[in-house]
Amino acid sequence: MSSKKVKVTDMSNNKGQLTELNPADFLPLPPPYDKLELEPKMKPLTPDQKQRYECDLDGIAAVMIPRPKSDEEKKILVDKFLSGLTKLFNKEDNWTFIQALLLTMEYCAKCQTCSTACPIFEESGGKEIYRPSYRADIMRRLYKKYIKPGGKVFTKLTGDDIDVNWEMIARLAELTYRCTLCRRCAQTCPIGADNGLVTHELRKIFSQEMGIAVKQLHEVGSVQHIQKGSSTGMTPLAFKDNVEFMEDEVKERTGMDFKWPIDKVGADVLLLHNAGEFLAWPENPEAFAIILEAAGISYTLSSDLLGYDGVNYGLWYDDVQLARVALKHIETAKKLGVRKIVLGECGHSHKALTVIADRILTGDYNIPRESSLTLLADIVKSGRLKLDKSRNEDIYVTLHDPCNVVRLMGIVKPQREILRAIAPKFREMTPHGVENYCCGGGSGFAIMPNTNFPDWRHSVAGRKKLRQVLDVFQDVIGPEHKKYVCAPCSNCKGQIRELFSAYGVFERCNILYGGLVELIVNAMTDIEKPFLEWDWH
Amino acid sequence: MGALQYFFYLSVAVLLLGLLYKAIKIARMPIHLRWDLYPIPHEKGKGHYGGSYFEELDWWTKPLKVSLVSEVKEMSKEILLIQSLFHHNRFLWLSSFPFHFGLYLLVGFLFFLLLGAILNLSGIVIGVSSESAVGVAVHYLTLLSGLAGAALGTLGAIGLILSRVFKGELRRFSVKADFFNLALLLAVFATLLISLVTVDRDGAIHRALAGNLITLKPTGEMPSPIPLELFLAGFFFLYLPFTHMTHFIGKYFTYHKVRWEDHPNLKGSKIEKAVTEYLGYKLSWAAPHIKAGSTWAEAATDTSPVTGEEKKK
Ligand code: SF4
Ligand code: SF4
Repeated sequence: MSSKKVKVTDMSNNKGQLTELNPADFLPLPPPYDKLELEPKMKPLTPDQKQRYECDLDGIAAVMIPRPKSDEEKKILVDKFLSGLTKLFNKEDNWTFIQALLLTMEYCAKCQTCSTACPIFEESGGKEIYRPSYRADIMRRLYKKYIKPGGKVFTKLTGDDIDVNWEMIARLAELTYRCTLCRRCAQTCPIGADNGLVTHELRKIFSQEMGIAVKQLHEVGSVQHIQKGSSTGMTPLAFKDNVEFMEDEVKERTGMDFKWPIDKVGADVLLLHNAGEFLAWPENPEAFAIILEAAGISYTLSSDLLGYDGVNYGLWYDDVQLARVALKHIETAKKLGVRKIVLGECGHSHKALTVIADRILTGDYNIPRESSLTLLADIVKSGRLKLDKSRNEDIYVTLHDPCNVVRLMGIVKPQREILRAIAPKFREMTPHGVENYCCGGGSGFAIMPNTNFPDWRHSVAGRKKLRQVLDVFQDVIGPEHKKYVCAPCSNCKGQIRELFSAYGVFERCNILYGGLVELIVNAMTDIEKPFLEWDWH
Repeated sequence: MGALQYFFYLSVAVLLLGLLYKAIKIARMPIHLRWDLYPIPHEKGKGHYGGSYFEELDWWTKPLKVSLVSEVKEMSKEILLIQSLFHHNRFLWLSSFPFHFGLYLLVGFLFFLLLGAILNLSGIVIGVSSESAVGVAVHYLTLLSGLAGAALGTLGAIGLILSRVFKGELRRFSVKADFFNLALLLAVFATLLISLVTVDRDGAIHRALAGNLITLKPTGEMPSPIPLELFLAGFFFLYLPFTHMTHFIGKYFTYHKVRWEDHPNLKGSKIEKAVTEYLGYKLSWAAPHIKAGSTWAEAATDTSPVTGEEKKK
C-alpha cells in the first residue's frame, strides 16, 4: 500500500503493517549527509519480535505491547480502551485537561495547517500516519461516535464513522509515541486546536486505564522514581557517593576544593537536577556547583527520596504519576525551608514543576519555582563571575531551544544573554526561540530504547534538528572548526548524543554538544585549564 | 404570518440559545492544568519574541505586567486577517480569507438592515434620495456590505470546496458533512448575491423584510429568490450550533483560556479555590497504579499502589 494514501479508516484494517519506512523517502539532509549511504540503517524487527509485539503501524515497536492471544483477549482490551475514552471526557476523571481537550475535539476545521509545522511529518517525507491531524482525526471520530449523544447514528450520516477493533487500538498506541508533544503544530492552528494535547490524552487512556505504558517511562521511570528516589535507580546513598565523586573531579579539573551543600536547612535555593546528569554528564552539575559557589548563592541539594532527581515522566503519559512526583519535590523543598526551587538544565522538569503542576500546588505547597537559566543570566550580568569570553573564541556555538523551556514556558532571552556574554561565535539556528524544532527526543523518546525505536528516533524524529545544526554550521562544517551545540536540557542532550553518534557527527564534522553552564565555566578566568574537554564526548 | 416566517424565528432562537449554551458549557468546565503556548502577546515587553514572566528573577515578587493592547492587536489580526493561515497555509488562506471576511461583512449587512429598518420606523427614509445624510449613508453601507459580503463569501466558498475536492491532503480528511456545510454556505451567499443584483438592487426589499421580522408583521409576498434565501439563512442558523462552524466561540476559549492563559496559581486565588474543590473529585481510572474510588488528593499523596507500602497516616 502506498503510504502517502493511507487514510484514517485504514487504521482498523487487518492487513498488517500500514506504512513502510524507507530512508530514501525521508527528506535529504545537507552536506556532508547528502548521500544516502551515510544514512544510518533502520533495523527491521526480527520475525520473533514481529510475532510477539504489536508493530502493524510502521514496523516499529516502541511500546512493545504483547500481541493478544485470542479474540476474547482482544475484546477485553477494546472494551477497556473505550471505557478509558469515556473517562477522558468525564469531568471528575479528567478535570486536569477536559476543557482543552473538548475544544480540540469540537472545533478542528481540518485545514491541515498544523501539518506544515510538524517536523516528524515533514522530515518523514510526508507519511500520512505522522500528520498531526491524522492522530487527532482518529480521536475525534472516536469522540463523535462514543461520547457525543447519538454518535453511532450521526457519525454514519456525517461520514465520521470509524471501526473500532484491536488492530486500530494497537496501532493507535504506537502512534501516540510518534509525536514528541512539542506542540509546534498547535502554534500554527488558526482555531487554536492542539494535536499535541491529543497525543498526551491518548497516552493517558493507555496508562491510566489499561496499564499500558512504555516501560522506561512507567515501570523503571516514574514508578522507580517514587520507589527508589530516582528514575535512574540511584538511591539517596548512591547520590551522596556521586556528589563526593564530583567534588573530587571538580578539584582535579579546576583546583577548586569545596564541599557541595546537601540537605542544608534554611538555604535560599533548592537546586533540583535531572539525576541522569550525575551519571551521564557530571560536568554539568559540577559546572553548576562551581558557578553557584563562585557567585555566593545560598543553595542546597537534597538527598531525600526524589529530592535529587527533578525528572517527572508523568508529564508525558499519566496525570496521577505527574502529581505524585511533583508533590514529593515540593515536600523536599518544604522540609528544607528554602525560599525557592531552581530547576537545573532539564526542560521537562522545568515545565512539569513550574507550569503544569502549578495549579495542584495549593496552600503551603505553593513554593516558588524558577529556571536556572533565569538565575544564571542574573549571575552573569551581575558581574559576580570573572568571565573572559575570548576563552570560548575558538568555538562556533549554536543554541538548541528545549521546547519545554522555550515554546511552553516563554524563557527565551536569559540563555541568549548569557551566550552573548561568553561565546563570541554564537549564532542562531533557523528557526529558533519559540518557533524552534524539537530535538526529536521529547516526550520521553530520549529514554526509550525499545527494539528498533531508536533507529526511527534518529532518522525521523531527530532529522529536523540534525538538519538545523548542519545548516547553521554549513560554512564551517569541516572538522578543522570546533563547533558546539549548546542544549540546556538533559533529555535533549540524551537525544543529541544518540543522534550525533548514529550519524557520526562528531567524527565527521567536529560538532560537540553539551549544556550551558559548561560554557560559562569555560569562560571563567579563575579556572586555569579549559573546562570543556573537547575530545571526550 | 407564513410557515417560513415562523421557521425563521425558530431558527434564530435556536441559534442564539445554541451559541449561548455552547459558550456556557465550555466556560463552566473545570479550570484545566496550565497548558501555555508561547508567544503570549499580553506579556508586556516580551510578547513580541515569545518571552514570559518566568524570565524575571524572583518573578513572583514582582507585579505581572500585562499588555491588553498587544493582545487586542494580535486578536484583531487573527480574527480579521486570519494571520495564522496567511503565514502557515497561504494556499488555503486565498479562499478562507474572502470566505470569512465575506461572513463578517454579512454580519455588517444584517446590522445595517436592522438599523435601516429601525430608522425607517422612526420616519427616516433610507435611500439615495433621502434628505437625511444618515439615511443615505445607511443605504450605501447596506448595499456595500451586502454585495461585497455575498460576493466574497461566494468566491471563498467555491475556493474552499474546490480545495477540498482537488487537494489530496484536504480531501482525505473531509467527510460528507464538511462538503454539506460549505455547500450550504455557498447557497446562502449565492442566493443573496443573486437577489441583490436582480430583484432588490437598492436593498429596500431586504430592509422591509428585516422591519417586518423585528416588528412581528407578516413578511407578505416577496420576489424570488428572496423566500429561498430566507429559508436557507434560517436553515443555516438552525444548523450552525450543532456543527464545528461555531469555532468562533471555540477560538475564544482556545486562545484565551488555553494558549494564552498564564495566570499563576497564587495563594488565596480563585484558581486555588477551584482546584481545592477538584482535588476532592473521585477518580475511576482502572490501571493498577491508581486506586479506583480515591479522590485526586488521595491518589496524588498515596503512593502505596506503586511502592507497595501502606499510606502513612
Ligand atoms: S488542528 Fe488546527 S491546523 Fe490542524 S487541521 Fe485542525 S484546524 Fe487545521
Ligand atoms: S506536537 Fe510536535 S511532533 Fe506532535 S504532532 Fe504536533 S508538531 Fe508533530
